[in-house]
Amino acid sequence: MDRRSFTQSLSALALASSTSLSSSALQVAHSVVTQPGSVDDTRASRQTARTTVNTPLRLGLIGAGSRGQELVRSFLRVPGVKITAAADVYPLRFQQLNKVCGYEVAAHADYRALLDRKDLDAIVIATPLGLHAEHVLPALKSGRPVYGEKTMAYTIEDARKIVAEVAASKQIFQVGHQYRYSPWIRAAMARVAAGEIGEVTHVLAYWNRNNSWRRPVPDASLERLINWRLYNKWSLGLIAELGSHHMDIANWAMNSNPIAAQASGSICCYHDGRETDDNVQVTLSYPGGRRMVFTSMTNNAKMGDQLWLYGSKGSLNLTLEDATFFYEPKKVEVAKVAKTGDGREPVVTSASYSPANEMPYRGPGSPVQIKEGEDPTTAATRAFVHCVRTKERPIADEHVGLGSALAVVSANQARVAKREVEIAT
Amino acid sequence: MGTIFTIECYAPDSDTADRILTAAFDEIDRVEALLSNYQPSSELSRISREAGNGPVVTDPETFRFLTKSFYWSQRSHGAFDITVGPLLRAWGFKAKNGHVPTQAEQKLLRDEVGWDKVQLDPATHTARFTTRKPMELDPGSIGKGFAVDSVVALLRESGVHAAFISAGGSTLYALGAPPGETGWPIDVPDPRTPGSVAATLLLHDTSLSTGACTEKFFMQNGHRYCHIFDPRTLMPVEGVLQSTVVAPSATDSDALSTVVFVLPPEQSRELLRGMRATQAILFRSVPGAPTCVVFAVPESICDTHAPSPQKGVRP
Repeated sequence: MDRRSFTQSLSALALASSTSLSSSALQVAHSVVTQPGSVDDTRASRQTARTTVNTPLRLGLIGAGSRGQELVRSFLRVPGVKITAAADVYPLRFQQLNKVCGYEVAAHADYRALLDRKDLDAIVIATPLGLHAEHVLPALKSGRPVYGEKTMAYTIEDARKIVAEVAASKQIFQVGHQYRYSPWIRAAMARVAAGEIGEVTHVLAYWNRNNSWRRPVPDASLERLINWRLYNKWSLGLIAELGSHHMDIANWAMNSNPIAAQASGSICCYHDGRETDDNVQVTLSYPGGRRMVFTSMTNNAKMGDQLWLYGSKGSLNLTLEDATFFYEPKKVEVAKVAKTGDGREPVVTSASYSPANEMPYRGPGSPVQIKEGEDPTTAATRAFVHCVRTKERPIADEHVGLGSALAVVSANQARVAKREVEIAT
Repeated sequence: MGTIFTIECYAPDSDTADRILTAAFDEIDRVEALLSNYQPSSELSRISREAGNGPVVTDPETFRFLTKSFYWSQRSHGAFDITVGPLLRAWGFKAKNGHVPTQAEQKLLRDEVGWDKVQLDPATHTARFTTRKPMELDPGSIGKGFAVDSVVALLRESGVHAAFISAGGSTLYALGAPPGETGWPIDVPDPRTPGSVAATLLLHDTSLSTGACTEKFFMQNGHRYCHIFDPRTLMPVEGVLQSTVVAPSATDSDALSTVVFVLPPEQSRELLRGMRATQAILFRSVPGAPTCVVFAVPESICDTHAPSPQKGVRP
């Protein structure tokens, strides 16, 4: 491979708009009034609001790899924040981190030395999934607020330990489900909660890429350190690294954690010694027979990263950059009682139907209009700093993290066991 | 930045090349997400939106980008300016419906454009607009170079010794040289004679950027309007066909290709004087003036050339 198109990030809407076919299978509502925000939305708005408060906040980072560095970039956009110390087992990360910060960050080869420091106000953890609990639990015990990357833990037992420790320590804990802070997703989900597409019965989610998911390794001895996502010891593969975000949004839409999981996966393209599958399929069951289906493949990026929420009145498409509603045709246009005078009052209805031969709708949708389409990670990190400063409970708290972890870990168990796994609530 | 990036890379085997290129394209995605003015979620868009309300703290990388951009604005006395977003919009270049704005629209632009309306504070890494209103920062004339430089750094860290990076064909970087060669051959077109080549440059660990009005322009009442503006007059540049700049940094060559396009040649010569390993070629169509001006390159490049078969990569 020596070339790749850079402008691939067409949204589903743009793709849909590119065709000249039309269908009346769906109709677009042109003027939809956003419902008043819930208490949760008010809290999210407060936490993500632009701030001029710049009281010093010293962060310690455990795990200074690519995600840790990306978090640091976002944290450094919050007034008053400084990265004071970092811990990692790979020395090159400290050089990279210093470059990102523009100053020298105190380096520790052992995270316990970092936690022993007295000059840190909060801890950020961006280590491989298999190490999350090992790092989050002592960080909480050290008496500092913690921002922990998703998935919250590698096992359900560890996830529950984190929930218990947050309660015991009375500390702030925020999990890295940053889409909970995305302005367009929050705006869309508020409308879903207000019933705009009816009850959400199905969520179909895709996160497809066309690359090997491998990182360059300067020395073969570093393979498992750098490409940890490909090995079972630290990783639950695509289900965790990509699917956990979508499963979190499904939990949000269903207002429930899943009660059962089925999953499959295989290595069909990259027979390069990896242990985690290069394609996965997950079905989560929710109360009332509702379902979420997540699929991920790594050799075709056509569907990209997107979710569809389906209800009987319409659909919602969520992407990394936007949200778009589509509406089912209103079949019943008139419903009235006909006065017959004989005591019987039959309901007379009329309906319109435009035959579309069940062709998919390929017209435009109704985009969710928002004033500020901010990067979700930038918003999430600012929200965390707000919570540390004010002691307010984060939106993406330990219970949000547990819900997603229940889905991820159970789905992986189902994939391995090749059977449905019930999820204890 | 809305362009196509291509990378040619020499690596020990195709698997290694695949991993390195995947990381390189991920890096381009990252920089795009940082600087795109088409993505509302980019950091640059956030600054455009918020810095009218007061100082906005940004990360060191974005601040470095802003610092470099306004450095070139200051050095060029405003010939280079990333606040030209409203200008491009008013003239229809963003929506691809080019037209001359009305006098009233042009008058309004005066308040919306101007690098001197942006204040940077290196002590706090903040940007602030003195307009007290949102502005539209447009990375179009420097962002591609910034992304290319980021990729070059990543490739070097990955142990790559020979690679060629192109951002839309207008900003290029030659990393090392192909095995057995002394550089990457690049054709500099001579726009005075379509299809002809003014020179084939052999680039080695340096960048080349080109600004031209041969593709992005519109015609109205028989007049050709170029997409490259002089931000000081708020008008499209007239009488310039193409500028090409070679410089060690792609960020710099990208910005300088606009500077050389906009400034009168004598002012460009003054600005480029003393700059390390920096060369430039300017083609113009000003009646009564030389059609070709060179800076630190042989005059023979200005000789007229007949159309020729392609030898190197053409921007």
